[in-house]
Amino acid sequence: MAGEQDSGNPTEAVANELLDKIILKQLHLMEEKMRCELNIESSIKNGSIHLAKSRYIMGQSSVSTARLPTESSPDFSASTICETTEEDGVKVMKVIENDAENTVNPLRWFGVLVPQNMHKAQSIFQNGINFVVECVNVQLQLQSNLKLINMLKQYIGSNKLT
Amino acid sequence: MALSMAVKGKLISVIGDEDTCVGFLLGGIGEINKNRHPNFMVVDKNTPVSEIEECFRRFIKRDDIDIILINQNIAEMIRHVIDSHSAPVPAVLEIPSKDHPYDASKDSILRRAKGMFNPDDLVR
Repeated sequence: MAGEQDSGNPTEAVANELLDKIILKQLHLMEEKMRCELNIESSIKNGSIHLAKSRYIMGQSSVSTARLPTESSPDFSASTICETTEEDGVKVMKVIENDAENTVNPLRWFGVLVPQNMHKAQSIFQNGINFVVECVNVQLQLQSNLKLINMLKQYIGSNKLT
Repeated sequence: MALSMAVKGKLISVIGDEDTCVGFLLGGIGEINKNRHPNFMVVDKNTPVSEIEECFRRFIKRDDIDIILINQNIAEMIRHVIDSHSAPVPAVLEIPSKDHPYDASKDSILRRAKGMFNPDDLVR
């Protein structure tokens, strides 16, 4: 007990140690987020190449925004959605398939017989969605850590004043 | 102990250039709901910034959207609106596009996290 009193307020030492740990974790999360973003970037680039190849085969306007549904098209549901669960106070997202009846296969917007590249682009972007959700999970952890760091700093600061 | 609680699935929305939107919609995230509101917006060089801003605010207000994907170069145009959104959900994720590689120094979340490590803040 005496030893603890010599080294100052024990709760402050504990708070400082915890702050160190959280900041270290924060640095790892920042690195992780950049890694996820690079994965997304390579997915988008690869997918875009296949879209460009399809465009070359099918014609300029065949793979463009003109083919996407607009406000006047009939309503439909997304086939890929994300589900949120909460673990230890932090939200965690997961990609799930929508089991609603009115989902559509997006490939049909571009024609009945689409080139193989279009199928490849679709699977690359579907994989990209997994990277996106992974990145969002890291981002959510970053944000909750940021809150913790601020709270700990305030706590340590208020302890110093008293 | 982990406390798990499942909530009904929500949408991923996208604000981006032509290839980003076509690609992610091809992946199956696109939806047009019963009120004819799409969860995506295609931005080209003629799209006014006010329209992007309005669309972003509309997506934030919708309670059926959990993730908003936005190309980083478009996010730059409405940076003040993105910075003012601090709630974790809907999560705003800045993604690179085929013409604009990812720049970590522009990312809102990473800048906020880096702010923790400025020298004035660390020396107590």
